[in-house]
Amino acid sequence: MMQTIAQIKNVTYRYKGAAENSLDRVSLSIKKGETLLLCGASGSGKTSVIRLLNGLIPHYYHGDMTGEVTVNGHDIAKTQLYELAGVVGTVFQNPRSQFFSVDTDGEIVFGPENIGLDPKEINARKEIIAKQMKLDKLLGRSLFELSGGEKQRIACASVAALLPEIILLDEPSSNLDMEAIGMLHDIVCDWKRQGKTIIISEHRLWYLKDLVDRVIYMDKGKISLQWSSKEFAELSETETRRLGLRPTRINEHYLALLSEQDDTRKGHVDIPEGILLKDFYFSYHHKPYIFRKKKFSAADGDALSLSIPELILPKGKVTAVIGSNGTGKSTFLRCVCGLEKDCTGVIISNGKEYRKRQRIGFSYMVMQDVNHQLFTDNVEKEVLLSMKDKNEKRCHEILDTLGLIEYKNTHPMALSGGQKQRVAIASAIAAGAELLLFDEPTSGLDYAHMEKVGDFLRQLADSGSTVLVSTHDPEFIEQCCDYTLRIKKGRLFSFQERNR
Amino acid sequence: MSLKLDPRTKLYMIFVVSAVVMMSATAPFLWAVRITMTMIPILLLIVEKHYAAAFRFLIFYGTALLLTFRFLSEQSKGFLSAFLVGYCSIIVQFMPAMITAWYVVRTTKIGEFVCAMQKMHILDGITISLAVVMRFFPTIKEEYAAIRDAMKMRGIMLGGGNAAGMIEYRMIPLLFSCVNIGDELSAAAVTRGLGGKVKRTSVQVLKMSVADYLLMFLFTAALAVFVGSKYIG
Repeated sequence: MMQTIAQIKNVTYRYKGAAENSLDRVSLSIKKGETLLLCGASGSGKTSVIRLLNGLIPHYYHGDMTGEVTVNGHDIAKTQLYELAGVVGTVFQNPRSQFFSVDTDGEIVFGPENIGLDPKEINARKEIIAKQMKLDKLLGRSLFELSGGEKQRIACASVAALLPEIILLDEPSSNLDMEAIGMLHDIVCDWKRQGKTIIISEHRLWYLKDLVDRVIYMDKGKISLQWSSKEFAELSETETRRLGLRPTRINEHYLALLSEQDDTRKGHVDIPEGILLKDFYFSYHHKPYIFRKKKFSAADGDALSLSIPELILPKGKVTAVIGSNGTGKSTFLRCVCGLEKDCTGVIISNGKEYRKRQRIGFSYMVMQDVNHQLFTDNVEKEVLLSMKDKNEKRCHEILDTLGLIEYKNTHPMALSGGQKQRVAIASAIAAGAELLLFDEPTSGLDYAHMEKVGDFLRQLADSGSTVLVSTHDPEFIEQCCDYTLRIKKGRLFSFQERNR
Repeated sequence: MSLKLDPRTKLYMIFVVSAVVMMSATAPFLWAVRITMTMIPILLLIVEKHYAAAFRFLIFYGTALLLTFRFLSEQSKGFLSAFLVGYCSIIVQFMPAMITAWYVVRTTKIGEFVCAMQKMHILDGITISLAVVMRFFPTIKEEYAAIRDAMKMRGIMLGGGNAAGMIEYRMIPLLFSCVNIGDELSAAAVTRGLGGKVKRTSVQVLKMSVADYLLMFLFTAALAVFVGSKYIG
C-alpha cells in the first residue's frame, strides 16, 4: 500500500584503510512517511547507514562498496551530492561542526541559496520555518553564543528549509539536556505530522518511543533484529541490557531525579568526612577596574554567575552535579578546579587549605572533548607527562588498572573515543589529584561504554578519590553516583544522598 | 546610528591601506593623509559600537606616533631607544592595515561577503574558501582556549620541562581538532548542496550608498597622493 521511498540492496562497505567491513550485506527498504529508528552499539554501522542514504558514502567517504542504494528514485552511486540536497536532509551529532555560517539567519538560508532559489522564495521559507519552529528569539544571533540545544534547533531549521522528503538524524541528542531533548522530540513529531520520512540513529531511546514506527537493531555491520513500535515499547530492561542498549522506558523515578519540580530542595546531608569548599563566588562579567581587580564576594549578590558560600563534598564518593544546560554546572566545575583564576574560593581538606593555583594541583578536571587533552605521541609519555617524579613503575600500574597497558606505545590519536577518555583519566590519576572532576563524560556514549565509565568512576572513588561529575544522563546517575547536587543559576539548589 | 558599508567598499579599503603602508611617508602632508586614513576605520569601529577595540587601537597607535615624533630621532642611543624605535616604527607603519582588517572581519557577515564576491564575479571556489577561513576564526579561538585549559590542568603551560613542548603541546591538538572539524564541516555543507552546478543565489541585498562612494573616493585620492609623491614628486 505504502510506497517505498528508499531502498538499500545488499550493501557491503569498507572505509578506506579500515581493517573490517563497516556494513555487511545490509538490505533495508523504507516506506514513505515512516519513522525509523536505528539502534545498536557504537561502531555497529548506524552512522554508515545514514551516510549511505545521504550519499556521503560513497561520494565523500571513499571506500569499497558493493550493492545498490536508491533514494526517492535516485541511484545514489550515480547521483551527485548537490542533487540530493533538496531530497535528503541530515542533522548531525556535533552542533559545533555542522554550521557553515556564524549567524543564525545565514545558516537557515545557506541550503536554499546553494540550490539557487530565488531570494524572495528563500526569505518566505525562512519566515515560515521560523514560525513553525518558534525560532523568533534565535534569529539574528551569533551561533557561537547559543547553547547546545539552541544550536541543534537551528541545525534542524536549516535542514527543514530545503524541504527534503527524507530527514536523517545522526545521534542528535548526544549533547543535549532533558529540556532540549523535549524540544527535539517536538520537532521530530512535527515533521512526522507533515508526512516526512524520518530516520534516526540514536543511543538514547526513551524519548523516541512514541514516535517510531519501526526499529532496526544493528550489530557488527549487520541488521540483526527488527521490532515494530509496539514490540519495541514492550522490550524488558533485561532484554535491552543484554543487547547493550539504553532502556526504552525511563522510570518515573529517573525523571523525578532530573526534574526540578520534584526536588525536595533538601540542602544538607550528614557527611562523616568531607572536602570543604568555601567562598566560591564568580561572574563572567568583570567588574570595572582601573588599577586592581576587585574580588568577587557575596556582596555582589545577583550579579554573580556562581555563588556558593560553603559546601562539603563527601570524600571517596561519586557526586553527580545536575541541572539544565547553561545553569552553571560547568562554571562550578571550572571554579572548583581553579581554571577560573578570578574565583577566590578555598578548598579545605584534612586541615590543609588550597587557594588559587594550588587548587589545580589538588583537583583535576577531565573535559568533555578528550582530543584537547592529549599532547604527546604515545600513551606512556602521555601519563608520565602528568607526573612530577616520572615514576615509570607507577605509570604502568595505572595503565594496567585502566586496561591500557597493551597500548602504551600507541599514538593517543589512533585510539578509539573510549580509549582516549581512559588515557585522559589515567593522566588525571597520575597527576595525583585527590579531587577528580568530570564534565559530562557519558554524552554520546552507548550503554556498554557508559557502564564502563561508571565502573571506572566507582573504582576511583573506592580507592579514595573524591569524584564530582556533571551529567544529564539519568541511567549513569543510577549506576554509579552516591549523591546528587543540583545547581540552579549558579546557586546550590539541593544536595541529597541517593539510596544505592 | 548605524552605517552599513558595502563589503566591496571594505575590501577596497583593505586594498588601499595595504598598498599605502608599503610606501613610506616622507613629507608632513603625506603623514597627515596616512593618519587620517587610519582614523577612518577607528571612527567606523566606534559607529559600529566596538568601543573597546577602537579605544585600544587609538591608544596604541597614538602612543607609537607620539613616541616616534617627540622622543625618538636619528640621534637616539641606547638599548631602550633602539628597542622603541623598532617597535614604534613597525606599529606606525603597519598598524593601519591591521586596524582596517580587524574592522572588516568584525563587521562583515559571511553572507554579505559571499554576495559581494559573487557580484564581482570572483570564482566560487575562491569565494567559498575565503568564507570558510572567516568561519574558522572563532572556532580556532574556542579550540585554542580549550587546549590552554587542558594544559593548565596538566601543569604544562611552560612545556613540561622542554622548550619545544610549549609550541608542540599547543599546536598538535589544535591541528588535530581543526582538521576534524573541517572534515565534518565540509561533509555537512555538501549535504546541503554546496558545490552544485547551479548558480548560487543570495538573500543579501547589496547596494552602494553615498557613504560607500564617498569612502571609495577618499581612499582613491589618498592612494593617488602616495603614488604621485613616489613616482612624480
